[in-house]
Amino acid sequence: MIEVKNVTKTYGKKHNKFTALNDVSFTIPDGASVAILGKSGSGKSTLMHAMSGLDRPEAGEVIIDGKDILKLKTRQIDAFRSHKMSFIFQSFFVQANESCYDNVSLPLEIANVSPRTRGKKIEAALSAVELADKKKSRARDLSGGQKQRLAIARAIVNDPKVLFADEPTGNLDSVTGDVIEKLLFDYAKNHKATLIIVTHDAELAAKCDMQIHIKDGKIESITQPKGAK
Amino acid sequence: MTIRDTIRRAGRSLRQAKARTLLTSLAISVGAFTVTVALAAGAGGQAYTNDLIKNNGDANSLSVFAQTDQDDSAPKEYGEGSKASDPGMLNDDDLKTIKAIDNVDEVTPLYNISAMYMTRDATSKKYETTVNIKADRTEIPLAAGTLKNNEVGKGDVVVAEEYLESLGFKSAAEAIGKTITVRFEKSSLVPGQKAETLDKTFKIAAVNKKTSTVLRYEEALTISTADGKSIHDFQSAGQAKNNSYYGVTVRVAENADVKATQTAIENAGYTVFSLQDLQTALFQFIDVVQYGAAGFGFLAILASIFGIINTQYISVLERTQQIGLMKALGARRKDVGRLFRYEAAWVGFLGGIIGTGLALLTNLLNPWIASSMELEKGTELLKFEPLTSVILVVSLMVIAVVAGYFPARKAAKLDPIEALRTE
Repeated sequence: MIEVKNVTKTYGKKHNKFTALNDVSFTIPDGASVAILGKSGSGKSTLMHAMSGLDRPEAGEVIIDGKDILKLKTRQIDAFRSHKMSFIFQSFFVQANESCYDNVSLPLEIANVSPRTRGKKIEAALSAVELADKKKSRARDLSGGQKQRLAIARAIVNDPKVLFADEPTGNLDSVTGDVIEKLLFDYAKNHKATLIIVTHDAELAAKCDMQIHIKDGKIESITQPKGAK
Repeated sequence: MTIRDTIRRAGRSLRQAKARTLLTSLAISVGAFTVTVALAAGAGGQAYTNDLIKNNGDANSLSVFAQTDQDDSAPKEYGEGSKASDPGMLNDDDLKTIKAIDNVDEVTPLYNISAMYMTRDATSKKYETTVNIKADRTEIPLAAGTLKNNEVGKGDVVVAEEYLESLGFKSAAEAIGKTITVRFEKSSLVPGQKAETLDKTFKIAAVNKKTSTVLRYEEALTISTADGKSIHDFQSAGQAKNNSYYGVTVRVAENADVKATQTAIENAGYTVFSLQDLQTALFQFIDVVQYGAAGFGFLAILASIFGIINTQYISVLERTQQIGLMKALGARRKDVGRLFRYEAAWVGFLGGIIGTGLALLTNLLNPWIASSMELEKGTELLKFEPLTSVILVVSLMVIAVVAGYFPARKAAKLDPIEALRTE
């Protein structure tokens, strides 16, 4: 369960003060898929950063598995992210010069997974996104859709419990986008992981269990999943 | 991230920017090359000087002579107490005085003997020769044979290489163990009187040769002090100056302070020459040249440090996204900083290896240097020591890491949110 309680984040000082998140609160049940919707500048990315501990809001709590991650030390948040969370970005951020294998290996290296178990996990992740045959290819030789699939392999290789996707289909055509969406939802379903998608694509959002609409740093409306309190 | 993974990732990043890595490394290698060659030249120079010293004297030997008038005083007025001048001679009393000084092991007078001729046997041709007495343990270069403790044994002789052919030997090795006879004549004060002669037979123990490290080479026979003394006693018997010598050779005890002994003998009223004075002066000169050259190398390394800093800053800028991604995936500041520090270490390592590698190639120039300076064949004026190279490469890695500190810190401090903002 992820609980976000009264999170406020402001940028700038005094006259230039800008409130990116204003007293935001909501709860996401375990294993739910969530869409965070809003126009650019609405604060949806800031919310994702706050929930993943990349950013530190001035006020509020983000409670994951009973722990307020905003009260953890930087080192502990880093460890938390490397073991429990993962990210997918609109522009993929795959390392163009590295092989697919090395790209997927990075999170395992960061999480200090022993070299012996790495191989299997990497192969499994690459198979899951149907890139097993591209193991040794350089990431720069892949198409856009393949790159995002590689990014998904990298994101799921260490079995994260929370998967953040920031506009995962924003740079892709609709056919490729559908493949990516399917991969994400399948992973979440099969691993009982929480999937949090930041998007302004209403169609993609509709496929999620829960929709959070953000406007000017405030929650406009929340569509709770069926069966939630 | 483990250190092994970090080293691998660092190496891979460098391979992706091959030209930049190589150029930065080359800048360091210039310094590494200069320092290595300077140190090698210094080591070679010292080894050569050591040979030079060894072949021309013995560090534990002192040459002692009577004190000469050198106290800047005006000449003494002649009067009743004045004696006839007796320049620079030492007598048996002096020998006793010197022998009594601490750490003086042996005192050997410089006997002056002259031979009439040398020959193989009664039927062979006779040749003129000089006979020297080996009083110190100077290491003389030999063409054949051996000298225990660099001393000539009683009844033995060392023959100059140039004598061999005349004496009928085909090679130096052939002469070893053979005998030659030398005839000495008693010094006679009475003109016209036929002088007494002495025939002495010596066994050839070694053949000495001329090399570029022997400063004063003489074609001669070299015999032991014991034989020298008996011949001297024979030749000078009945002369007024029977027991007076031009000088003596003093052997200082092993492990004793030669300098202190030298001072003690000087204080006893003698003039002393030692090889150590020369050795010290020569080593100082080599050190100055060596440190001068190495200094230029260190300047080159200093300049290359700025190259490393610059390269690493560019690398951090280029890889902003990668750093952001690593941090989003949970990499600690420490991991990111370490990645860039190891990259710098790799650059330092490469530079060091290239520089010392090129320097080692100059080793091949040794024969050319030796021949162009007319030195002994096989002389190495460039002497490379593996340990020095290892230390140099390791130091360069440390220097590179220190140079990469600020870029690495910049990378470690990078805000992942900023780094991952694309538009």
